Amino acid sequence: MILCSLRDIVFGYENEPVIRNVSVDIHAGEFIAVSGPNGAAKTTLLKLILGLIKPWSGSIQFTPEFSGSSVAYVPQQASSFNSGFPSKVIELVRSGCYTELGLFRRFHREQHALVEEILREVGLWELRNRKIGELSGGQKQRACIARAMVQQPDLLVLDEPVTGMDAASRVRFYEWMRNLVKTQGKTVIMVTHGLDEARDYLDRVIYLEGKEETDHVSI
Amino acid sequence: MFQYDFMQRAFLAGGLIALIAPLLGVYLVLRRQSLMSDTLSHVSMAGVALGTVLHVSPVLCGFLFAVMGGLMIEQLRRTYKTYSEVPVAIIMTSGLALAMVLMSLKTTLNKSFSSYLFGSIVAVSSSQLIIIAVVTLIGLLFFMLLRRPLYSLTFEEDTAAVSGVRVKMLSFAFAVVAGMIVAAAMPIVGVLLVSSLIVLPSAFALRFAGSFVSASVLAVVTGMAGVFSGLTASYYTDTPPGGSIALILLIILLAGIGLQRAVKLAKKRRTGKTEAILRQQTNQTIHEGVLK
Repeated sequence: MILCSLRDIVFGYENEPVIRNVSVDIHAGEFIAVSGPNGAAKTTLLKLILGLIKPWSGSIQFTPEFSGSSVAYVPQQASSFNSGFPSKVIELVRSGCYTELGLFRRFHREQHALVEEILREVGLWELRNRKIGELSGGQKQRACIARAMVQQPDLLVLDEPVTGMDAASRVRFYEWMRNLVKTQGKTVIMVTHGLDEARDYLDRVIYLEGKEETDHVSI
Repeated sequence: MFQYDFMQRAFLAGGLIALIAPLLGVYLVLRRQSLMSDTLSHVSMAGVALGTVLHVSPVLCGFLFAVMGGLMIEQLRRTYKTYSEVPVAIIMTSGLALAMVLMSLKTTLNKSFSSYLFGSIVAVSSSQLIIIAVVTLIGLLFFMLLRRPLYSLTFEEDTAAVSGVRVKMLSFAFAVVAGMIVAAAMPIVGVLLVSSLIVLPSAFALRFAGSFVSASVLAVVTGMAGVFSGLTASYYTDTPPGGSIALILLIILLAGIGLQRAVKLAKKRRTGKTEAILRQQTNQTIHEGVLK
């Protein structure tokens, strides 16, 4: 089933288009990588899909079945934002539940259990009471991914999520994403430069060549 | 000193402002908008001047200008995304320029303006006290009821937007509340030092607090300590309260930084000694291994 359809998308900054006539379909239950050289507008493509920016022309449509589903996003170098933020790891990760809980609903046993499960999955349970500013780059990145995961999103959008992670953590992360897609039918879109090590876990690669007159999307 | 009505009003108003201004400061510092309070106070001063020239309530005009200034900063922040300090500079200079021109139109204004610039214990009237109480209540409700979306917004705007926070609306509401708090704090600390009451307590709290809630509580406690001791010092030394409050808050911040460094240094020394002992023991073990 097609989750999201991008048709003839054109977008740029100032007067210079960086995405030219891109058309691509995102299917539900896929683990997709977006790759390409620097400046190929990979992050821009993610932001267009997320609705954070509007295209100059073209259309981006989600299927009606997807409306009301939850989306989570981990931006590029998420760990570098607000490293002095006054929060413990567990407090930051728990804030991922705010979407579900709204303004006033209290945390229940299920949310506490989910937060614990995901913190254990990313290997940060032992560090849950550390201030996020005291974590290493890779650990901060994992905390941001954990925060996105507690939202239990149907669509997970990750911009270079393995930056700063060691090799073992990267493999564990790819396996985790693959498992989510396979067992729970989630959709994962991930910008990455490490196609070689991720390829075995992916369903598809969207390769933006950039700098060409018309962007080429190879699938 | 509490036998005087004006001192009772000053302490009450100061206590209320110290309850809300440092809380605003925590968000402003984390959103890298520390200079916003300074900018809004300059804009508010233009409003006070305009109100006096037009014989309309200067307090009300000051409030309206501060709120409008907040909205304009937020709008310009969205226009100048890459250079977020540009809107602050634009609005601050515009506010100051307008205030100066209006002040020159009415020479009697110059005399009373020093109390606006540096704050005054006697400047807090009963009607102003009511306004400060209302602003404090609005501010507290805003920060308490919307603490979850505000937390997400402050951590990272794009992820907040994707997770369903109405980022634009919340940011504009935040700008309005910021304008109101700045305008309410002006009679006590003055235009030039209003940011000291907003930024210094939160800068202190953010160095020590382990969680968002503790940062907010510590900022408020620090603000209270600064305001009450500053007002007392101002009464006994006959100095403007804005200056006394700002100086005391600065001393608290510097003492905190000094103490934190001393503790870190002591910890480092202790860890260094332990590591040296451990290294020695490890070497011995390896040596024994070789012998075996």
